[in-house]
Amino acid sequence: MPTELPYAADAEVSLSFDELDVLKRQYEKEVSQSHVTVQTKFNYAWGLVKSPIKEHQVEGVRLLQDIYRAEPTRRRECLYYLALGHYKLGNYDEARRFNSLLREKEPTNMQANSLEELIDDRVKREGYIGMALVGGAAALGTLLVAGLIRRATRK
Amino acid sequence: MASQEKATPVNVKLLLIGNSSVGKSSLLLRFSDEQWLPEDESSATIGVDFRVHKMEVKGKKVKLSIWDTAGQERFRTITSSYYRGAQGIILVYDVANRESFDALPRWYSELETYVSPSVVKIIVGNKVDKEFSRQVSYAEGQAFAKRMNSLFIEASAKTSIGVKDTFDEVVAKIIDTPELWASVGSSNKSKASRTTGTDARATSMPGTIDLNDSREDESYGGGCGC
Ligand SMILES: Nc1nc2c(ncn2[C@@H]2O[C@H](COP(=O)(O)OP(=O)(O)OP(=O)(O)O)[C@@H](O)[C@H]2O)c(=O)[nH]1
Ligand SMILES: [Mg+2]
Repeated sequence: MPTELPYAADAEVSLSFDELDVLKRQYEKEVSQSHVTVQTKFNYAWGLVKSPIKEHQVEGVRLLQDIYRAEPTRRRECLYYLALGHYKLGNYDEARRFNSLLREKEPTNMQANSLEELIDDRVKREGYIGMALVGGAAALGTLLVAGLIRRATRK
Repeated sequence: MASQEKATPVNVKLLLIGNSSVGKSSLLLRFSDEQWLPEDESSATIGVDFRVHKMEVKGKKVKLSIWDTAGQERFRTITSSYYRGAQGIILVYDVANRESFDALPRWYSELETYVSPSVVKIIVGNKVDKEFSRQVSYAEGQAFAKRMNSLFIEASAKTSIGVKDTFDEVVAKIIDTPELWASVGSSNKSKASRTTGTDARATSMPGTIDLNDSREDESYGGGCGC
């Protein structure tokens, strides 16, 4: 029986407040000692991206961009979490861009391929909603016009 | 669980752990999708991967949520956040790689930090298809598992030997372990009766931050709602 795809394990579940706080404290401690290790920064960035709060996600993406630039050995995970972060923020073009950089290097990476499906699904779904809204507005417009015409013709 | 209706599936949360490259993701892919990727096409897991799988064990419908963690050191803190609430742990090593077997005690000390002692554990010696380059004998694996109070099996994600049995055995044992289904709070009892005297903190993996620092003990029994 195939799994219910697509799914990104880190997309839905967030850390508890305390867990994120542990990562944050470690990061801030190292910042105050002006020596931040990549590991600490990455852990914190990951925790931020997982958060449901938008400002956290934005900050997480920013930290990941830093790490991506500075640490070539960490690129693959940065690409993945950058894609995930942008996906959560609703920046689907950016999400696809980072994810496709990863998929170019690892065409059979199932996590990346699954994330791609997730992005596609979301874009499609929001597309429908958009169309429904536009369609709805058009329908409403027609009713209004019809009403006006009716009112105008009554007299 | 006795009150559970036969038709509604029981939720069970499983976690796969072990060194990088031992074949955790391959075992999961073989189990859930009956698939095998050529050796050079599989990628090391990033952080954690997840699958849902429905099965029937002992006449019960079971919905498994399986968390496949990355074995690479750099993901250790990330993966530790997924231990919470697991009812079964699948510890994997590679029978053709002694180092991955020797690393098991360190994985057990991770477990001591993050999960209740009543959690069901199974050690899987994977890649038995590589018999010609075996470095760990069946007897040795079995003896270690016995010492750690864990189930033991040898398997191959490549040939699929032992793969389904692995999951069947863990889930069957979980169903037979009432402590894992007790409500929140009663799990503290088992926590207090820890037997291991080793210093888990001293032996735990480098680079690990204990996400449980705040000592918030969450439910072990509820299973995963995913
Ligand atoms: N011969 C043989 N090779 C295997 C078997 N299982 C996995 N492999 C190979 O071992 C390599 C690593 O497998 P993975 O499943 O990615 O290992 P993993 O434990 O998930 O690794 P991480 O995600 O880094 O923790 C891949 O090249 C697989 O094809 C097996 O049963 N037999
Ligand atoms: Mg893996």
